[in-house]
Amino acid sequence: MNKKIISALYKKEITDILRDKKTILMMIVVPLILYPLMFLGSMALFSSILSASTSKAYTVALDGVNDPDAMKQYFKDNEEHFKYTFIIKEPEEGETDAALLEAGTIDAYVAESVSDNHPYFEIAYRASETDSQTAAGMVEKMLSKYRDELRSEAFIEQGLDEKAMMNPIGFFMKDYSSNEENVGFLMGYILPFLLIVSILMGALYPAIDTTAGEKERGTLETLLTLPVNNMELITAKFLAVSTIAVAAAILNLLSMGGLTAFMASSMNMLSDNMNVDLVSFIPSMGVTFICILVFALFASAVSLCSCIMAKSFKEAQNLTTPIMLIFLLGGMAGMIPSLELTEKTALIPVVNITLLIASIFKFHFDLSIIAIVLFSNIAYSALAVVIMTRLFSSEDILFADSAASFRIMEKRADIKKGQIPGMGDLVLLFAILLLGLLFIGGLFAGKFGLWGVIMEQLMFLVITVFYGWYIKVDFKKLFHFNGFNIRGLAGSVLAWAGAYLILVLLSALLAAFFPENADNTALYDLWGNNPVWLAVVSSALAPAICEEVMFRGFMLGTLENKYSAVKAVILTGILFGAYHMSLNGLIIIGLLGIVQSYIVNRTKSIYLTMITHFINNLLAVLSVLYEEQFTKALPFLAGDELPTSTMIIMALSGAVLLSLGMWMVGKKEVK
Amino acid sequence: MKIETDKICKQFTRHVNEVNDKGGRKKSHKEDFYAVDHVSMHADSGEILGVLGPNGAGKTTLLRMLGTIMHPSEGSVFIRDDEGQIVKDPVILKKNIGYLSGNTKLYNRFSVREMLFMLAEIYGMDKEASEKRIEEIIGILSMEKFADNRIGALSTGQTQRANIARCLIHSPKVYIFDEPTLGLDLLSSEAIINFMKTEREQGRTVLYSTHYMEEAQYLCDRINMLYQGRIIAEGTPGELMERTGTTNLRETFRALIKETEAEHE
Repeated sequence: MNKKIISALYKKEITDILRDKKTILMMIVVPLILYPLMFLGSMALFSSILSASTSKAYTVALDGVNDPDAMKQYFKDNEEHFKYTFIIKEPEEGETDAALLEAGTIDAYVAESVSDNHPYFEIAYRASETDSQTAAGMVEKMLSKYRDELRSEAFIEQGLDEKAMMNPIGFFMKDYSSNEENVGFLMGYILPFLLIVSILMGALYPAIDTTAGEKERGTLETLLTLPVNNMELITAKFLAVSTIAVAAAILNLLSMGGLTAFMASSMNMLSDNMNVDLVSFIPSMGVTFICILVFALFASAVSLCSCIMAKSFKEAQNLTTPIMLIFLLGGMAGMIPSLELTEKTALIPVVNITLLIASIFKFHFDLSIIAIVLFSNIAYSALAVVIMTRLFSSEDILFADSAASFRIMEKRADIKKGQIPGMGDLVLLFAILLLGLLFIGGLFAGKFGLWGVIMEQLMFLVITVFYGWYIKVDFKKLFHFNGFNIRGLAGSVLAWAGAYLILVLLSALLAAFFPENADNTALYDLWGNNPVWLAVVSSALAPAICEEVMFRGFMLGTLENKYSAVKAVILTGILFGAYHMSLNGLIIIGLLGIVQSYIVNRTKSIYLTMITHFINNLLAVLSVLYEEQFTKALPFLAGDELPTSTMIIMALSGAVLLSLGMWMVGKKEVK
Repeated sequence: MKIETDKICKQFTRHVNEVNDKGGRKKSHKEDFYAVDHVSMHADSGEILGVLGPNGAGKTTLLRMLGTIMHPSEGSVFIRDDEGQIVKDPVILKKNIGYLSGNTKLYNRFSVREMLFMLAEIYGMDKEASEKRIEEIIGILSMEKFADNRIGALSTGQTQRANIARCLIHSPKVYIFDEPTLGLDLLSSEAIINFMKTEREQGRTVLYSTHYMEEAQYLCDRINMLYQGRIIAEGTPGELMERTGTTNLRETFRALIKETEAEHE
């Protein structure tokens, strides 16, 4: 990558974007003019409605009232107190309340009757009419005042102490949270949503302009004649869009901040008893600012990634609509009370930023979680940028109709049999599975327990197989559905056992360096509270089949076609590790995934790794369920502190088993 | 620089809409076809090579592949430097090619001068050199009057000159011009034709496609006649006319296409 070229391209992109009237409109006019106008307009409207409702006279019909004149007088006497004007009307013969209300001649209809020897008032109104609703509300207020007065009189008549009778006990609430905390709580609700929306709005328009717009205006081919590589081009576009998104977010913040300050001062919110120490918000503001920067990167990457596939403005807008919806929903995550920022939720895009801003405004600073949120956003952005460079080098996307590099976008009837999925398909499927895991996975397990775990696995299996079916892959070849022989089986089991021994050591070592409080207790509890067979089926059998089909089937098969065997095996392992979403998981499970992929790559039989995967997970389930017996039987696999000699023996025997197994499956005649 | 191709092909897919017999409901299917079909050709330094052919013959696709904007689906393109070495690095190749087609539009929100500056920066030229080069180009293409106007506000002829200026900025050794005089008035096209002639004299390679047969007859050293993705004839304008027994290139063009169609039947 050439920094000079990137800076030249960046300058070009920024100039190009800023010279577009529509962008300027979105960026400056909306936050700086439209917001204040909307705000002032709604204030004016609100106050005019308020004054109109009090200055207006409402017509109320009184029917069957015991003493109509007294009641009329009561209404009249209280006009001053409630600030309203009533015109009292008595209904004529044959006029019903419903008909009068519908005709609009009256706003409320009050009828008195007797129920259980008590006078009983019915206030009829139409909730769909503003005037009728207001009038009914006023009548209700008036009648309850009337009731209270009658009650007081009754108490006095009986010679009773009204206060003691009505309120035998007293209580009051005392709030110990500081004004700052209250303000922060409120900010945590609103601020993330506003920020996410304004950043996305700031990113979307330039993203469309710089991709689909460039295609539509015909400058894309010009750009391709320049001595620039894809990475430089995408980086420049990405940085330019991010810059605009950050600028838009800051303008929005300033505008909203100014309005809030104006509102606060005009409403005297900042009077003596509501003193807020603004200095205490500086750290939160600082973290929020970093969040804005990082989220701008993420929003720009995601919007560019989808816009790049569109050939026109219109198509780009269609493609970005679902993104907008997802972002809006994610922005509302802070309003779901039970949703807290944990190591898991810190990985969910959009939701994590929302929750982080909400939590720092409640003055909860958990550095490790802040780091996870920021790094995961950067990682997702980087992934999106890499995908973009791939998309951008695809002539299908540059010159042809539209998103053709994903075979799934084609009509199934047009697809020839025996396809091998492309890299676009692989990335798309992986993204679908990852998003499914993040957004739906926990939900299933939470609702249906271990059955949910099985359902989740089956869902992913169905998605993968459907994808393969839709693009008409050669199932046997891509998914490695081939038989195996005894040597292959023995070799696989030995290789797995060797890898397992080494990885047990390695994970103990890693745990010392990166203490990870991976929260598996929920899963362990589920295992303990269910029949053993269900634990085994959900956590050993289902993953052994489903994950193998996903990774050693679809992904390995795709990568083998694209890259050398070594690269394909390693990449599959990395994807497998990344899918398990934790640092230790990435390394340990990634390495296990590499060994598994090697076995399938050599033997072309996915059944072998289904078996080793099953044994592997079975061991994990049993080690939790029968912890005591397990520790007794296989102390070296469970003990936390092992003597050095045992560790050396384990490492050596692991290495021997692994090499022996790999040699056995690697031999040519194994089929 | 010298360009050679060895049986290059470009395959595209096209949608075909069929009308069903029952009720005329439309069905569509896709089919693959060769836009460029096993073309072997060469263009040498100091010559203007004309690529002629009817609409849809594959001229633009062929020129795109030569300009490294598209990759052939089969076969290969070799571009040799003056020492005869094959250059593979796409960045170096692009620094030596000036590519112009109807699809290389300009950035409307920039002025001509701003755009040229931006391009010079991307080509890695320093500020002084680019300033000098830009003044030079503005002189060559007589763009003094509109060099500071936004490109979106220029006339067709002015825009085309600005587009040629874009191809000149990095002083390339190869020019690939896809219908450079399309829709231009006499004066503007003359300026462009004269420009190509001067570049040829300076030993540059010029590849050029057009529908104006008189222009091609007057300008081209050699002609490749393209039809349905294949080269159906190759030679100097004189040779082609002689072979078909015609007196001008317009007639030659007609005769060659007739001949090929007759062969097909």
